[in-house]
Amino acid sequence: MGRRRRLVDPAAEAGAGALPKVIAALSRSLPAGPSPEIFRRAKFDRPEAAPALWQLLFRLLSPRSADGASASLALEAQVCLVKSALRSQGYPRLVLAQLPEDGSRGSRELLLALSWLLARGPLPEQLLAQAHVQLGDEIPVCECEALASPGPRVPHVEAEGPVDIRCVQWLMGRLRFRWRCLIASQQEQCTLLSKLLRRLERENTGLEAALEWRRGELVFWRWMDTVLGACPPEAPAAATQPTFLPRIAERGLGRLELAARELRALQEELCEATGRRRAAWEARVGGQGRGPQWSSARQALQKAVEQELAALRWAWEQDRGPARPHGPHRLVRCEDEAPGGQHLRAAEVIQALRSQEACLEAALRRLQGQCRQELARLAGALPGLIWILPPRC
Amino acid sequence: MSIVTVQLGQCGNQIGFEVFDTLFSDSHSSQGLCSKRENEAYRASCKERFFNEEENGVPIARAVLVDMEPKVINQTLSKAAQSGRWKYGQHAYFCQKQGSGNNWAYGYSVHGPRHEESIMNLIQKEVEKCDSLSGFFIIMSMAGGTGSGIGAFVTQNLQDQYAHSLKMNQIIWPYGTGEVIVQNYNSILTLSHLYRSSDALLVHENDAVHKICAKLMNIKQISFSDINQVLAHQLGSVFQPVYCAEGSFHYRRNPLGDLMENLVPHPEFKMLGVRNIPQMSENSLAYSTFTWAGLLKHLRQMLISHAKMEEGIDWQVRPPLSGLPPLGKMPLNKELHFNTSIANLVILRGKDVQSADLGKKLRAYLHQYTKFGIEEEDFLDSFTLLEQVVASYYNL
Repeated sequence: MGRRRRLVDPAAEAGAGALPKVIAALSRSLPAGPSPEIFRRAKFDRPEAAPALWQLLFRLLSPRSADGASASLALEAQVCLVKSALRSQGYPRLVLAQLPEDGSRGSRELLLALSWLLARGPLPEQLLAQAHVQLGDEIPVCECEALASPGPRVPHVEAEGPVDIRCVQWLMGRLRFRWRCLIASQQEQCTLLSKLLRRLERENTGLEAALEWRRGELVFWRWMDTVLGACPPEAPAAATQPTFLPRIAERGLGRLELAARELRALQEELCEATGRRRAAWEARVGGQGRGPQWSSARQALQKAVEQELAALRWAWEQDRGPARPHGPHRLVRCEDEAPGGQHLRAAEVIQALRSQEACLEAALRRLQGQCRQELARLAGALPGLIWILPPRC
Repeated sequence: MSIVTVQLGQCGNQIGFEVFDTLFSDSHSSQGLCSKRENEAYRASCKERFFNEEENGVPIARAVLVDMEPKVINQTLSKAAQSGRWKYGQHAYFCQKQGSGNNWAYGYSVHGPRHEESIMNLIQKEVEKCDSLSGFFIIMSMAGGTGSGIGAFVTQNLQDQYAHSLKMNQIIWPYGTGEVIVQNYNSILTLSHLYRSSDALLVHENDAVHKICAKLMNIKQISFSDINQVLAHQLGSVFQPVYCAEGSFHYRRNPLGDLMENLVPHPEFKMLGVRNIPQMSENSLAYSTFTWAGLLKHLRQMLISHAKMEEGIDWQVRPPLSGLPPLGKMPLNKELHFNTSIANLVILRGKDVQSADLGKKLRAYLHQYTKFGIEEEDFLDSFTLLEQVVASYYNL
């Protein structure tokens, strides 16, 4: 088994209670982690430890989204899934594939499979990152999807003539209802806050467990050595079996080739079509684009382009060194003025957003102007028809 | 935000089932009328409103079923469970072994207090399951016996216990042909009690809905289930999500809050009615085309002529009645064209009688009520309150 041998630090603790603590931390940082007693029994291949370990492996290997629904799968189904998942990931030991489907035996093999998964990568940390509680304090940067939304409408009040008392009663009633709705939404906020706090607590426990596991995992690996030692030696012929990889059927390969050829042909067609269109447009535009009515349009265009260039240039100057951050960022309050690195200050983000806003607004005005001109042209083309253009806004 | 529904009596439970069924079909329908994004936004905003949707389970209606006999409740529960698409909560109902004779006073003064704790506990459990409560929706009939009495009592309790929550009562106006005088007494008592403790009373008339079924939907044998389905469709149209003013893909979150704030702020005007168009069966919808402007115009015509049906609008010239309130697309229901006192109409049914006879007639059926604690004064109080309501509407 090609297990990575970690450097053993002799100065690391070797207290009698260290191993159970480390295993307990491991199982706390995994979903559905069994108790340390199960681990101990598994070393001696006790059958009663097998179901818990099958279920743990199932939770680790099954796709993330099937969390809730798959918990109700029967043990046999879980066993099958675990076996096929391990096989497709290249797990080398064949004994596991031969374990009975009812999940009643093989706890030592399962323990070895678990430690194989742990050795390949930072499994607890990956799982915790996947289950991270979304707090809504993330903001995407440089992803231009903001839509301008108008603010809430201000109700406009007319005060003319004597007011009917019933009107006043009506308004008082509305006020009372709004107040009651406010109470309801405050209660909702409290419920949701408490739910959020509970989820955060669970996440914190998981994170603490992962830390504890990392601190003491040497003890675990030394113990796993003894487990491997307790296993009967593997037959040598088995070692030459290649890793099982999913095979693409022959027919599938042919189809793949066909699809690739079709895509390439499509791409050539598209290039041709765009080339033709571009030529035609240039021919059309080449004739126009002169004359007084176009100079103002051109000026507006030039100004807009200059603005965008300025924004780009500013962005470049801000940030010569590492690549400009792109993607979601979390809002964090920070006392110290820790510079650069991967952090962005709120002021920079606001400025970037403002410049984007300015560019978009200029683009909007330009497009509106074009629309107006087009409408005016259409209106001129149909005499006898009166067109009322929308007001400038 | 979520709405907790309380279904009372035979009427309330049957209608409640149809309402939930309609709402569920609407939220989860896969008609390809809109873009996928719109469908998802709609579905997301329907979530949690009327159903408690767990990840891998059947959605559970946020409802409490109350009735004094088990027959209708069992039918309702099993119909929902059989559909396989949604169901009621396993223990979200309250019923007794035996019915208790169609008596409003019995329902209000005996059943109510006796079972108050159990019923309110059930409601409390439903409320706790909600992340946020928009309010209560109570379905009951107006002229029934125990259902209406208990309904009035429960609404009063809700007012005491959840003073800040919004409450809307859906009440069914009985058929005009059922001229049992007890029905009239029951209606008076129900209306007056509800007027004091509820925020809005949404009235549906069995007659009107029956006519819609007969004339417009071409149903030959009209069963209660048909009537209830039309009713449920109207209610569903009112409660399903509506767009914010600001933009698309943003739905408003508080259905009851929005309705109440815009329709019943004034404490004296709590009666509501519903008009909806088009009134046709689902099958005919595919063969008709509508424009928004046309629909609105039609609706306005119905409103002006006080019609409840799309067709047969009577355009007689009449002296101007009341004006329209300043806001609201849904009209207030001017339910009574009384020109005499309610007491007169209810007891004497409009006939001109001597005053001595009046006394005799009044006491004729009263013993059923006084036996359980509803005295003559309660009746007089109720009359006064309703007279006041009628006068306020008349003076609009």
